[in-house]
Amino acid sequence: MTGIAGPQISAVISSVRSDSVVHRQRALAMARFRLLWVLIGFAALAFIALARLTQLGFAAGDRGNGAAGMAVDRGDIVDRNGVPLARAFPAYSLWFNPNALHGGPALVKSPREVAEALVRIFPDENVDDLTRRLAAGKPGYLKRRILPEDANRIHALGEPALEFPRENERYYPQGSMAAHVLGYVDSDGHGQVGMEKVFDHQLTDPVTRGNPLVLSIDARVQGVLEDELAKGLARAQAKSAGGIIMDVETGEVLALASLPSFNPNLIDRQGSEHAFNLVVSQPYELGSVIKPITVATAIEAGVITSMARRYPAGKPLSIAGFEIHDDENFGDSLNIPEALIHSSNIVLAQVGDQLGATRLRTAMEKLGFAERPYIELPARGLPRFPHADHGEWSRVTTMTASFGHGFAITPLHLACAYAALVNGGIWHPATLQKLAPGQAPAGRRVFSAATSARMRQLLRVIVEVGTGRSANAPGFRVGGKTGTAERSDRFGYHRDQVVATFASAFPMDHPRYVVIAMLDTPQANAATSYQRTAAWNSAPIVGRVVPRVGPLLGIMPDQTRDIDISDLKPLIANGDGE
Amino acid sequence: MNMTRDRLHAIGWGMTLTVCLALLVALTMRVNAVKSEVHLADRQIATLQQEKMFLETEFETRSSQQQLRAFNDVDFGYEAPTAGQYLESERQLAALGKPAGPDAPAPVRMASADDGAGQGAGDAQPVRALVALAAEKDAQPHKLADRHPSRPARHSEAVEE
Repeated sequence: MTGIAGPQISAVISSVRSDSVVHRQRALAMARFRLLWVLIGFAALAFIALARLTQLGFAAGDRGNGAAGMAVDRGDIVDRNGVPLARAFPAYSLWFNPNALHGGPALVKSPREVAEALVRIFPDENVDDLTRRLAAGKPGYLKRRILPEDANRIHALGEPALEFPRENERYYPQGSMAAHVLGYVDSDGHGQVGMEKVFDHQLTDPVTRGNPLVLSIDARVQGVLEDELAKGLARAQAKSAGGIIMDVETGEVLALASLPSFNPNLIDRQGSEHAFNLVVSQPYELGSVIKPITVATAIEAGVITSMARRYPAGKPLSIAGFEIHDDENFGDSLNIPEALIHSSNIVLAQVGDQLGATRLRTAMEKLGFAERPYIELPARGLPRFPHADHGEWSRVTTMTASFGHGFAITPLHLACAYAALVNGGIWHPATLQKLAPGQAPAGRRVFSAATSARMRQLLRVIVEVGTGRSANAPGFRVGGKTGTAERSDRFGYHRDQVVATFASAFPMDHPRYVVIAMLDTPQANAATSYQRTAAWNSAPIVGRVVPRVGPLLGIMPDQTRDIDISDLKPLIANGDGE
Repeated sequence: MNMTRDRLHAIGWGMTLTVCLALLVALTMRVNAVKSEVHLADRQIATLQQEKMFLETEFETRSSQQQLRAFNDVDFGYEAPTAGQYLESERQLAALGKPAGPDAPAPVRMASADDGAGQGAGDAQPVRALVALAAEKDAQPHKLADRHPSRPARHSEAVEE
């Protein structure tokens, strides 16, 4: 029994053992399998967590840009000190939505009552017109660009159909100031007239529109120039006025005004009529302001070697059937300072004659008088520059051109020429963009530095004792020349209409800025002492502008400084000399 | 015994997983809460920026050159300071109100030369005679006038390029 039972038991034990080994092995495999799954699960979770973190990280980066929020679709325009002149502005508009009540009547009150309420908010609107538009039941703008407080008042009317959506509009915080420089943006979003038109692409390009366009204009100086020009325009009851203030060393335009102006925030028919920029687009026969240029050219060419040399001036000059005469007789003979002080056409015609056509024409061409002015603005006026007969100007053309007649240039041409006249003789193109130091274009030499120094003396003499006395702002050492020319157009000269210009620079001991003031068709009235000439109309404008802008531009008045004109004074009959 | 331990292990792992999942859900909710806070802050920033721009623009409009001019014309009547109100140096300040000495010349400093313009273009310096006077800013005015040369610079002396 035991002999049989022993092997059986051992067999059972061994089979149980082998079962348990197999079982354990299976359990172990299962455990490893489960462990693997758990590990895979953890790995997946870790991966998801990492992926989420990464996503959040990137999303946070994006969010930074998104926070800037308002998408600007047109870049700002600022002046040289960063004052905004044009900016994108989400303005309110007044929109009529007749379906606001979803099938109900368009308005709670009658169209007439609503129209009357709207006219109380906007007094310039027409009640009948508004009533008709409200009664028509068609959706549309009732008014573009309304003020937030007006929007609040419309909201208080309790008409759901009157909505005021916010739209990105172009806004000019300074109103009509510098309107001709800035231009405006039309309803299609394209710039018109001024820098808005010229830099339309740069202002709208997503890459560049983030950076504002920096102009050379100084808002304060521009404000002063427009203010004084407007007052001068009103005093003289003139048709229009123009003015420029320009840096003589770089050609940067600090102020450029053409009056009457327009409001770029509200372009109506009158606004678009006034959008024409007289300073850049309209050529004028500027008359006597050209005389210093002729004198400078003659000094440069060696035609005038002595300021004391006297030229006959007692009787009119007859050339080829034309008669050149002065406004009044200043004596039998005049020297150059006297001729400039009294603005003698007879003497300047003789100087021009001695100078000759070629040298005078070449100098004027070097000053850019034969081509459109150099500036960024569109619609630059083409000067009326005389054609050369048989290869050169005729004698009459030369003589009339030498005192500023027979050709027409824009006031901007004149500003650039005067800058060259006083800055040491270098002509620079004008620019409306702010230039960094050293960025100014090299320009071209027209006069020598010595000629320029002499011209500064002569221009100062004209303001101290000549026709420009009313521009002599104390302490600012202003020098300049008046010019009163009969208006001319395709019908010829108009004796009853003049263009009065004063071209100047200051301070004359080291000129920094050119100031031009021009009045078109000033009237002789009590405010102008019954005079139409530049001495009574344009020069006083400069005399008032300079003390206001000088300190803003870093030029302090100083009565202990001046340019030395003691060598010229003895030559002037009414001066300290003979 | 073995089975019990295995089960305990399994339950342990399951609980760990559950806790992890719960934590994950909690974390996700927390992240979403923070995200919505950030969105809210974003909107607030945008609103404030817009409000700031409105206020800035309103300020610029109200303080535009034309408005300031109108205020000044009506309310203040300020005018640009005159030359007599400016003093350039301490010396001028000290000399302010001091009567001029007997036979003192007019304290005007003259300069007829080009003191810098066009130098970059390679010019020779023209009319040299009077430049030095302008440069001596701190010198006493009447002494400067004393040293002023009686003979002015003549154009023919100028050195041209």
